[in-house]
Amino acid sequence: MFETVRYEGKRRIRGAAVLTAGIGAYAGFIIWYFTVLEDVDYEEVFNDLPPAMLEAFGIESLSTIEGFLGAQVFNFVWLLGLGLYFAYVGGGIVASDIETGRMDIFLSLPVTRARLLVEKFGALLVPMLAVNALGGPIIYLFVVAVGETIPLDHLLLAHLLSIPFLLVCAGIGLVFSVAVDRAAIAERGAVGTVFVLYLLESVVGGAEAYDWIQYLSPTQYYEPTPVLIDGSFEPIDSAILLVAFAGLLMLSQALFECRDV
Amino acid sequence: MSDDPEHPLVVEELTKDYGSVVANDTVSFTVNGGEVFGFLGPNGAGKSTTIRMLLGLLKPTSGSATVLGADIRDEAALTEAKRRIGYLPAHLGFEEGVTGETVLDYHGAMKGEGRRDEMLELFTPPIERPIREYSTGNKRMLGLVQAFMHDPDLVIMDEPTAGLDPLKQEAFNEFIRDERDRGTTVFFSSHVLSEVRRVCDRVGILRAGSLVELENVEALLHRSGKHVRVHASDAAVAEITALDGVVGPERFAEGVQFIYAGDVNALLRELATHDIRDVELGEPPIEDVFTHYYGSREEADEGDRSEEAADRTTRAGETDV
Repeated sequence: MFETVRYEGKRRIRGAAVLTAGIGAYAGFIIWYFTVLEDVDYEEVFNDLPPAMLEAFGIESLSTIEGFLGAQVFNFVWLLGLGLYFAYVGGGIVASDIETGRMDIFLSLPVTRARLLVEKFGALLVPMLAVNALGGPIIYLFVVAVGETIPLDHLLLAHLLSIPFLLVCAGIGLVFSVAVDRAAIAERGAVGTVFVLYLLESVVGGAEAYDWIQYLSPTQYYEPTPVLIDGSFEPIDSAILLVAFAGLLMLSQALFECRDV
Repeated sequence: MSDDPEHPLVVEELTKDYGSVVANDTVSFTVNGGEVFGFLGPNGAGKSTTIRMLLGLLKPTSGSATVLGADIRDEAALTEAKRRIGYLPAHLGFEEGVTGETVLDYHGAMKGEGRRDEMLELFTPPIERPIREYSTGNKRMLGLVQAFMHDPDLVIMDEPTAGLDPLKQEAFNEFIRDERDRGTTVFFSSHVLSEVRRVCDRVGILRAGSLVELENVEALLHRSGKHVRVHASDAAVAEITALDGVVGPERFAEGVQFIYAGDVNALLRELATHDIRDVELGEPPIEDVFTHYYGSREEADEGDRSEEAADRTTRAGETDV
């Protein structure tokens, strides 16, 4: 049981460590920068920006550490950066194995395609959980270190709620991965799709006529800034993401079942 | 599902049509329990396509096959049967960053590893090193270890000796003969006649996607003749090529080469009557066997090209069919 998760998961450990270290360092820099900017009237500067841009970058309240982290770390790194990263990695899961001939060896083992796919995807939980489980405490320690405070439960929630969102991004990658023959195309396709959805959501958010389009984007259902500021979130959003993820996973399995490798 | 130990592998009118090309055209054959069956054919004949359909990697367009009694179109049955199947693909796509030991641990956990140590004594890949440092031969040896380490009843191998040095090839041949004696059924593809003749009991010959011949090895060798290359004067060449049994003579600047299917003594007597500057007698390249016995070279080439085209459309980056 779960031999493939273990085997593939071990291979993801180094990448997960580098990813977590990189994001930790960036968060550290941002938190330090917040202390430098404390005297600047930041709100004033951003009041001149168009509302769509404020919406896109999740800018709500830059004068508090929660608002600043929400905009600079969570919206940039978790929502956009990690969203694209997991879409990219998801895109490589199957396509790269098919391209290199590894899939021949995997499928010569006594394991069904559906199960193999789930286990290979499961290995992605290593970086996904590491970056949240370690990234959260790192951010908290940095905040404390600069003499600020942040509600621990809000921070925890912001990380927890990112998991369904990241699963959907990786799931989009997985669909590309089983549908396309070449890893490079699957990876680019997945990254492009998540990025376009993110842009669409940002752009049409303000326009009433086509505002339904924003509901197509996974980024619509994860808003870290309000979570950090006052702990508010819609449980239905996470439910929608989890259902979407289940749908993407089943679609990937169905596509993988009927394709040649 | 009925597991018939007499016939571990039954292929019935298996067809793989890529639209632009038919990679396998109603291929049928049966492999008997405990025999070594060679699947012979020039590069691009469609051997890997057949093998990959048998493993469930490709879906047949029509026809079917049973492997250890499991219908290859029935994923659950085939998955169960894979516990007793060893597979060595032509292209060994092991994860480059991990050690051979990690790969074997994983394979062992998935399907068993009762004979792992025994295999590692015979074939000696440097399992403590990462696979990116492996030579082709080392990768092939690691592939052989994983293919046999769970003591399978049926082993399917695609070009198993490609990249092995001659000593390891000999060890491989001996090992395959021992395996047969233990009752293991072995099915492997090759484009090298000499490899097949040393270990196989029977051969199926695939050409341009179709099975053209199914016979025992002795008959094949008898029919395949000798490849002869003679350096001699034009007059001598004319007389030599007039001998019975000379097939497809091809002139070159200093002499002639041909396939000789007649009595070797007659050829030697004829050669002795001329002033021969040089002579080579050897096994014919398999392409020549096909050319002279199963049709023209043009057809063979066409088959190769169309197969390659099919390959490109289905799997980028892998051309070894």
